Amino acid sequence: MLAPQRSRPLAVTIGAGLSLALMLSACSGSPEGGDSADGTIDVWAHSGQASEAAALETLVKEFNSSQDDVTAKLTLIPEADYTSTIQATSPDELPDVMEMDAPTMAAFAYDRKLIPLEDVVSSETLDNRISGVKESGTYNDATYAVGLFDVGLGLWGNKTLLAEAGIEAPTTADEAWTVEEFRTNLAKLAEVSPSGKAIDLGEANGFAAEWGTFTTTPNIWSAGGTLMKDGKADGVLNSQENVDALEEWASWKEFADPNTSGSAFPDGQTALTWTGNWMYPTFSEALGDDLALMPLPDFGNGTKAGHGSWQWGVTPAAEGNTEAAGSFLDFLLTDESIAAMVEANAAVPGSTTALEQSELYGPGKPLELFATNLESACSSDDVSADCIAVARPVTPGYPTVTSSFGSALLAIWGGADVQGELDSAARAIDSDFSDNNGYQDE
Amino acid sequence: MASPALLLLALFVAVPFVAAIWFSLHNVRLGDPRAPSFMGITQYVRILTDPDVSRQFIDALLHNLIFAAVVVPVQTALALSLALLVKKSIPGVGIFRSLYFLPVVFPIALVAIIWRLILARGDQGLLNSALSFFSGGAFGSQDWLGSELTALASVIVLSIWQGCGFQMVILLAALQQVPAELYEAAELDRASAWQRFVHVTVPGIKPTLVFVALYTMILSLRVFDQIYVLAKSGGGLNEGATRTVMYEAVTAAFDENNIGRASAISVVFFVIVVILSVIQRRATSEKES
Repeated sequence: MLAPQRSRPLAVTIGAGLSLALMLSACSGSPEGGDSADGTIDVWAHSGQASEAAALETLVKEFNSSQDDVTAKLTLIPEADYTSTIQATSPDELPDVMEMDAPTMAAFAYDRKLIPLEDVVSSETLDNRISGVKESGTYNDATYAVGLFDVGLGLWGNKTLLAEAGIEAPTTADEAWTVEEFRTNLAKLAEVSPSGKAIDLGEANGFAAEWGTFTTTPNIWSAGGTLMKDGKADGVLNSQENVDALEEWASWKEFADPNTSGSAFPDGQTALTWTGNWMYPTFSEALGDDLALMPLPDFGNGTKAGHGSWQWGVTPAAEGNTEAAGSFLDFLLTDESIAAMVEANAAVPGSTTALEQSELYGPGKPLELFATNLESACSSDDVSADCIAVARPVTPGYPTVTSSFGSALLAIWGGADVQGELDSAARAIDSDFSDNNGYQDE
Repeated sequence: MASPALLLLALFVAVPFVAAIWFSLHNVRLGDPRAPSFMGITQYVRILTDPDVSRQFIDALLHNLIFAAVVVPVQTALALSLALLVKKSIPGVGIFRSLYFLPVVFPIALVAIIWRLILARGDQGLLNSALSFFSGGAFGSQDWLGSELTALASVIVLSIWQGCGFQMVILLAALQQVPAELYEAAELDRASAWQRFVHVTVPGIKPTLVFVALYTMILSLRVFDQIYVLAKSGGGLNEGATRTVMYEAVTAAFDENNIGRASAISVVFFVIVVILSVIQRRATSEKES
């Protein structure tokens, strides 16, 4: 009789103990965040292009050995889950310093996951930024992010195949193919391309993901449309200009290589590819002098290109020790660090002095087009015929914008009715904005 | 004695469920430090009546039901035939057992990536090039994942390929439990192979068959991974033709940060699953009695 009587409270104790332990371990998940008193700062970054991640790891090592006061501990998170990881992490569990994709900055600032950098990063560093990087780091008139580089999106050609089809590659924005010329050229190039398809439009990257928004918005801006105006999508996103532009885009599918191998263009299988600067090292190694960089096709309102790339911010976890975080960012934004990074990803250097010394950007240099595109940058709310590089909307509601637009793109690429898809995306965005009071940030 | 179990149940089932109901009545944004505002039953009204939101939800529910209606009988039948095949004691049967079981070991996300290459549109897709080779080029390239007609069917095929081996192993164990004397007696009675199957094998493994069907049904209702991977990472899967309820809930929560709607979807889905379980429980217990 004794044993059962004793076992009951024992079981309860064990059970309660277990649950308590579970609850405690659940609550104290990440003890690292914020304990920066010992001079250690936690740093999160995305792991996308292998060369880019390797360059960052080297930079962090160099920073740690360059001085004795601060040690940066880098954690790389896969790109596909990077934004949602930060979104799902509460501010006190975030690292001191984190990387973020440009259009997600406003949402993180709205969620109080970023602090203004005016008193964190030195003013020399801030003043030295190129205007594109300045613009994508600014929200509500404060700087929340700084970037080592900005991005360029363009049309890359294989000169041998272009010559075979008797087509000359345009080199400056003024010479960009009109959309009719582009369509004709796709048909001509399909005949000379070994795969039978003229272009890789990047569908293997997933049009439903951020890539879709980044790669197709130049079409709608160039057609005179945009994503949102004054916090409203209805009548803007589903405008006639956008419908026409995306119908045109979807019609290129018959010339588009699905690129299952991941290397259709560098292998010489397609004559064209539509992608960003980060592929330049791969392309130039594979094609050498055969590589041509061209502006994206002009839908009527001048050629356009996306801008805004990965950038860095400081979280509330660093408060009380922002000096350490600031010294790390100051180090990342020196011309030497920027040069090391852009050697890995061929991006447009993010500081004016680094841009001047660049071997890729500048008059007569291979990627001159991307730098000149950025000189005339504008915001998505106000796209003029003169501007070329356009930033995606800077709004805390951007996650819904890109998710709804991406779903529409995937469906349109699959053959769905463009007007219907854009109407429904616009309604979803507007309903989310009205639920959240227009994302007014007081 | 039941208190630890009850405590754990409360902690991991009741608390999240009550929280989901509370979330569904408020405008909760993932990662937003502002206090959630009360929305009443707006999210439920949208899921059930709003032209955009409810269309997607009803579509998703329909896809789940189609998926279950096809996968449960087909996968169970296929698993049973595989189990009957590998039950025979011939030399090297262990190799076949392992081969059929192998896909179960792969995570479904990996399976989705493999099938993405098989089903890729254009001439480079393995299936397309095989079909074109064997038909002498008469069979043109199909966009298996992108087309509205074949997208869900493609997902069903790859899911059955992945899941079938597990049911096979369970059914194989059950088959080996059927006493050999029963087969001998049936043979003495000159029962044909088909009669032995219907009157000895099936009654002998019936409880296991019911379990396998129930289990497949539950898996069919929560199908998510392969659809998410194929739609979001460049597989070109037709999202509109394949979205499922779990996919709707996860994308609402983590792509749109809309925890309120995701919770409301989960709560409505919970009610539907409870109803389905009760129906299935009734149907199977009547048969058993």
